[in-house]
Amino acid sequence: MVLLTSEHRLLLKSNYAQHEVYAELLGALGAFMEEKVLPLSQKFDDGSAKMDSTRARLLEQGFCQIGYPKEYGGLGLPFGVYVLAAELAGYADAGMALSVAIHNTAAEGIFQFGSEDQKRKYVSDIISGKKVASFSLTEPTSGSDAKTMATKAKKTPRGYMINGSKAFITNAGEADVYFVFAATEKGPSSFIVESPNPGMSFGEDLPKLGMRGSRTSEVRFVDCEVPADALVGEEGQGFEYAKRMLSGSRIVMGSLCVGVARAAYDKALSYSKQRRAFGSPISDFQLTKEKIADMKTGITAGRLLCMHAARAREGSVEYSSEAAQAKVFATEMAVRVCDMAIQVFGGHGYTTEDVHRHWRDARLLTIGEGTSEVLRLLIASRELARSA
Amino acid sequence: MKLAVCVKHAVDETELKVDSSGRPLIEGAAYKMSTFDKNAVEEALRIRSSVGGEVTILTVGPPEARKTVKEALAMGADKGVLIIPGTATGDSLRTAGRLADAIRKDGPYDFVICSEGSSDTYTGQVPPMLAELLGVPYVGYARKVEAKDGGVVAERALEDSVETVEARTPLVIAVVSEINEPRYPTLIQIMQAAKKPIEERRPDEAGSAESRSAPTVVSMSAQQAARKHLIIEGSPGDAARKLLDALRKEGVL
Repeated sequence: MVLLTSEHRLLLKSNYAQHEVYAELLGALGAFMEEKVLPLSQKFDDGSAKMDSTRARLLEQGFCQIGYPKEYGGLGLPFGVYVLAAELAGYADAGMALSVAIHNTAAEGIFQFGSEDQKRKYVSDIISGKKVASFSLTEPTSGSDAKTMATKAKKTPRGYMINGSKAFITNAGEADVYFVFAATEKGPSSFIVESPNPGMSFGEDLPKLGMRGSRTSEVRFVDCEVPADALVGEEGQGFEYAKRMLSGSRIVMGSLCVGVARAAYDKALSYSKQRRAFGSPISDFQLTKEKIADMKTGITAGRLLCMHAARAREGSVEYSSEAAQAKVFATEMAVRVCDMAIQVFGGHGYTTEDVHRHWRDARLLTIGEGTSEVLRLLIASRELARSA
Repeated sequence: MKLAVCVKHAVDETELKVDSSGRPLIEGAAYKMSTFDKNAVEEALRIRSSVGGEVTILTVGPPEARKTVKEALAMGADKGVLIIPGTATGDSLRTAGRLADAIRKDGPYDFVICSEGSSDTYTGQVPPMLAELLGVPYVGYARKVEAKDGGVVAERALEDSVETVEARTPLVIAVVSEINEPRYPTLIQIMQAAKKPIEERRPDEAGSAESRSAPTVVSMSAQQAARKHLIIEGSPGDAARKLLDALRKEGVL
């Protein structure tokens, strides 16, 4: 068992009384990923294997059930345990980790803001993998400035009619349930749209730099009718809901990137001991050692920041700044670490997909779920407000 | 149908390190359920799902072996028995004797299922010894098992053939790893397994018949693979001919 290390066990021990139980569960999840996901990861990247059935098995294992109460089919475990699970998934396959994390964000939205009926109807089915879910917020002309969304939901006698389109949507075309943001007269609102729906269609799978195992495309709504009970929470509150959903999700994305960085680091570390130059392994050279030290320190720091933010969330304190800090640091760290891994491999790093794909995967997450730039503004505005 | 599965808390061979002289560093090694024993547990669960019954996990080992019993319970077994011997000596005959005692005490079991050998030492001795001590039929190297009324039809994977045999219960079966793909317990099943019963037994072994003639392990070392490092040069045609000659000389072809 490689995925769950003594460092994770120590972190669990220093945070939770039930650390042994959590370590056993994460160890089992890690073993599954190591044996069933990791060996296929390169194939998901180069398109020679599809990840659907493996993703279904990962969801059946209970990956997304970790943080939900038992009455909704969850395991009732702390958010921090899920955050560490996301790191293991990021290590095993970043594209799959992204897909299940976004899937879980949709479940989280229904769980946090949905009615009791909506929670009963969807949460258990989504987190167990019976239904695949997607989170549809970004639009071609509105990303981090989500308030300007052009997708509209017009009230009709039977419910709502949605028109517009959503861009860069993970799991689009594969999902059964879409958590969709659209503006009503009262402002941004959120809806559950079930697929298939005659008013909903999907674009081509986008050719991405990385995260290639996951499907990303446009979701189009043309007179897409949904019933009145598809509205989640209250009209006009959608932007508020999105912010809160994204705060939790940002910690998960940070942790996922810690996993990606570790995958690249482990390969580089191993290669540095094998590859010889000038008569000795390149790991003997001080400039290689500097890279190893910086990579390792970054990974540990990223993991600790993600756990710190997870603990803040568990403690029910306002944690959007902590979540943003974790995501900015861990995602940028992952890009740096994966870049250094390519450097350690030299020409082999630039030409070997199994090395450079980690950089390509990590590169998404300084953009998706809040760009580093926007998150820095968020952190600074929180800090300035706190000091006022 | 009463089914028993004998499971070993074995050294995790994937994490085993060897010292500079090639000796494995057993002390401080990580332990896990013997890899092939998962196939034995899986087969018992499949038989249970087809004909009903109860699956009991039997393990001889130190208190830490509870982890392995629990893993089998998480896969779906009903209860576990952990036999903690007074002495750490663990040769095959003693282990078989301790398992046979437990099986006699709780039995009769219709099926006692083992794997063909453990993933650490792989002696493959315990299952036939167990059958002998219990005085029941033994079906080894089973690659397919079908429970029938009062018996079993099994396919045995032999070196160059497949043998189909019938046997009456009670019996001991040793399965090969190709028989099935063991299930991964889900997180919910792992949590629920904590509530399943595991009985710990510390047998009084003074005067036990199976303490006789225990073989002593004199040494254990990693296998050395001898390589000849033959480099063949020349044009592709010449090189191919030289390679063929070399392979014939070595008796490979």
